[in-house]
Amino acid sequence: MISPMIAATAYDRARPAIAPAEGLPQGVTNAAADFARVMEQVDLAAAGAMTGSTETHELVHSIARAEIALETAVAIRDKVVEAYQEILRMPV
Amino acid sequence: MTDPLSATELAISGMKSQAVRLRHISENIANADTPGYRRKLVAFHQQVEFGRATGAVTAGPTRLDRRELPRIHDPSHPLADDQGYYAGSNVDLIVEIADAKEAGRSYEANLRIFEQSRQMGSALLDLIRR
Repeated sequence: MISPMIAATAYDRARPAIAPAEGLPQGVTNAAADFARVMEQVDLAAAGAMTGSTETHELVHSIARAEIALETAVAIRDKVVEAYQEILRMPV
Repeated sequence: MTDPLSATELAISGMKSQAVRLRHISENIANADTPGYRRKLVAFHQQVEFGRATGAVTAGPTRLDRRELPRIHDPSHPLADDQGYYAGSNVDLIVEIADAKEAGRSYEANLRIFEQSRQMGSALLDLIRR
């Protein structure tokens, strides 16, 4: 027979297995930093184009790069969320 | 790693160079009637970074056309010499217009490459999006 006490201890023992890992893998952190840098650059280019210090060509280039970077980030995020939902749907 | 967007950088360099070229052409056309004006020429160079060619193009320094200036007969002109001649500009409008067309076409070609490369990068991402 399972008593509440035993269930509690079993849960306590199983907790480390389901706890989230410490921090993100190095690759993911780097990719996020790269993405933030690309977005920062497009901000700078847009502001520069407004004040006339950046050429239109540069602005178009950074926008195209930021667009692809954003699409990549969104695609990867969608995949991660999909994988997470797949785990949630797993029969226990 | 080959960035799907590395071609856009080169296309942008081509567009920039053609824009510089068109600027010089418009200077030439604007000064077609300026006495003593020499036609400006722009030469393109391969861009070199740390001793290696990057594949991009840059507009080099401006040179002046060494062709002789035409001597125009007009004794009433303030710059006319004793014989009534003064030096005109050596700009040929037909050559300039043809050059402008060529610059425009080249710009368009670079634009197409830019668009193509962007589409390719985006199509690659479509693979994992589904």
